Amino acid sequence: MADRALNRRVFLAGSAAAAGGVALAATPALARAATPRIPDVDIPQAARNDPSEATLAEAVVLMRRGKLTATELTEAYLERIERYDAVYQAYAEVTGDSALAAARRADRGQGPRGVLRGIPLCVKDNYFTDGVPTRCNSLVFEDFVPDEDATAVARLRAAGGIVLGKGQMGPLATTRATAPNGTVTTVNAWTPDDPSVDPGGSSTGPACAVAARLASSSIGTQTGGSIVLPSNQQNLTGLKPTMGRVSLHGVIPLSFTRDHAGPLARDAMDAAIMLQVMAGPDSRDPRTLGLPDVPDLIGAATPVAAKGAVRMRRATKIGVPADFLATRQELRSAFLDRLDAIPGITLVDVTYPDDWNLLTGTFNAARLAERTEPFRHWLRADPTRFGVSLLSWLQGLMLSGDEWITAQRAKNHLLREVLDGVLNRCDVLLQTGPVPFDILGLPEIAFPIGFDGDGVPVGAILGGQPYEEDRLLEVAAAYQAVTDWHTRRPADPETNRSRLMAAPARPRLSAEEAAATSA
Amino acid sequence: MSEVQPPTQEELDAFVRTRLKLAGFDLTLLPEKADPATGVPTRSQVLASLRAFVASTPGAISGWTPPAPTPAYAQQASPPLLYPSVTEAWTGKAGE
Repeated sequence: MADRALNRRVFLAGSAAAAGGVALAATPALARAATPRIPDVDIPQAARNDPSEATLAEAVVLMRRGKLTATELTEAYLERIERYDAVYQAYAEVTGDSALAAARRADRGQGPRGVLRGIPLCVKDNYFTDGVPTRCNSLVFEDFVPDEDATAVARLRAAGGIVLGKGQMGPLATTRATAPNGTVTTVNAWTPDDPSVDPGGSSTGPACAVAARLASSSIGTQTGGSIVLPSNQQNLTGLKPTMGRVSLHGVIPLSFTRDHAGPLARDAMDAAIMLQVMAGPDSRDPRTLGLPDVPDLIGAATPVAAKGAVRMRRATKIGVPADFLATRQELRSAFLDRLDAIPGITLVDVTYPDDWNLLTGTFNAARLAERTEPFRHWLRADPTRFGVSLLSWLQGLMLSGDEWITAQRAKNHLLREVLDGVLNRCDVLLQTGPVPFDILGLPEIAFPIGFDGDGVPVGAILGGQPYEEDRLLEVAAAYQAVTDWHTRRPADPETNRSRLMAAPARPRLSAEEAAATSA
Repeated sequence: MSEVQPPTQEELDAFVRTRLKLAGFDLTLLPEKADPATGVPTRSQVLASLRAFVASTPGAISGWTPPAPTPAYAQQASPPLLYPSVTEAWTGKAGE
């Protein structure tokens, strides 16, 4: 296909340049391409009335038109955090004073002048943030205050983004957000009175912050579904890019071969804007070097129409495995029918290879050795600091080197089964779960497609070819142009004292449950 | 090849304890009774969990080989890759 061939040419050209002695960018900021521009999206009345209702793109347009200031937007979020976060517990740390100072500088025309100028963001607490505690929600990092930003955070700030605070997370990026001892903290923004409802993890706080209108957008990490699952559970659009698209420098590791950084956003456009800013080569993360250029993600997330009807930007075959949403037949049918009605989309039934369950199930355990190695110091010094999360770190000690190598061999085998088999029959693939594409480092997007009988959001996960985040965004944007699931917002929680006193006790995960559900 | 009998619980226990010790992990740093303050598993919880893990997972992984007519060809098949998607770009295969 033409665009894929182009990717290869870009790669080869890049290789030639590197071989010719062209220096790689020494700092993240220098690696940036032309400044992206956000299109003039329509502004709904709700966003005009209350800036916390605005998507990131809508807020940028309102500011561009002089209808909103960075200070007003930041204050709106801080007021909501003050009022509601005792219930949600989306934030581990709120940096209100520095956020307001940055917003005021932006309004005075000072500071970074990038595409995110004046936009308040929530950052998962496993990204280094200069001078701000980065605890990864674990006693292991209880006193850790980095002296630099992670590359992804530095790029967001360089584009004008304002860090509103650090998002609560599963301890060490493992489960839904709990205290280190397993007691549930962050709730699903759609069911704030019922902490037993799964909010998705481990980027639970960043998801809740965006869903509950406590931030414009957020960034999380994913090793075993930690961006797409909380996005699905809380009605968001989450984008886990291809391995290497976003630098992992300054992200506390869970698995060196499977960690990914990406946005949790209100819709496809917002996810595209965030990823466009975060992505690109970084000399401090060799996984990001020598890859195809980041495509025009904002363009990909801009819906196109012909004669008033939304159509696909490019003809796209979507693979549908039999087990996709198999337990929710009504939602499955409605979703697939809606997709199928978009001109340019063709649905294709696909089947998995025979060894799919083995290579994406049992072999998922191979990642555990990778979390053990960088944490040996603390395992030896004081394992109680791992709290409820300890077991999976010790499981990693029980795998031998030859077994780990076998798992890497199996990855290559699985990759060929996916690229030469399943994805040979389609451009993108609906997923039953996130793990197969996590193992392979292939991109995935999550987006809302409805609600279950209890009012909890349900989403789809779509996987793509290497470096084709743009294709995923095209599908999500077209679907969102003909549906309104992504525009639904949860009601604000009750905050009166008697209601809070009557709230059910927060459940607690056992060590065995934490190991079984760990990313 | 002769059929190897699966390890007994005692053998699994000895393996787990030895492996922990070789890795410098001091089991006695963990509580003997549940500690709600930290939520950390007890010594017996750790041993039971690791025995179950060792009995099920490593063998399932090491029992797999890529499909090939003989072991000599299996050695050549699917070379181990750390970063499959990144390797696609580095080998120029991405997007072919």
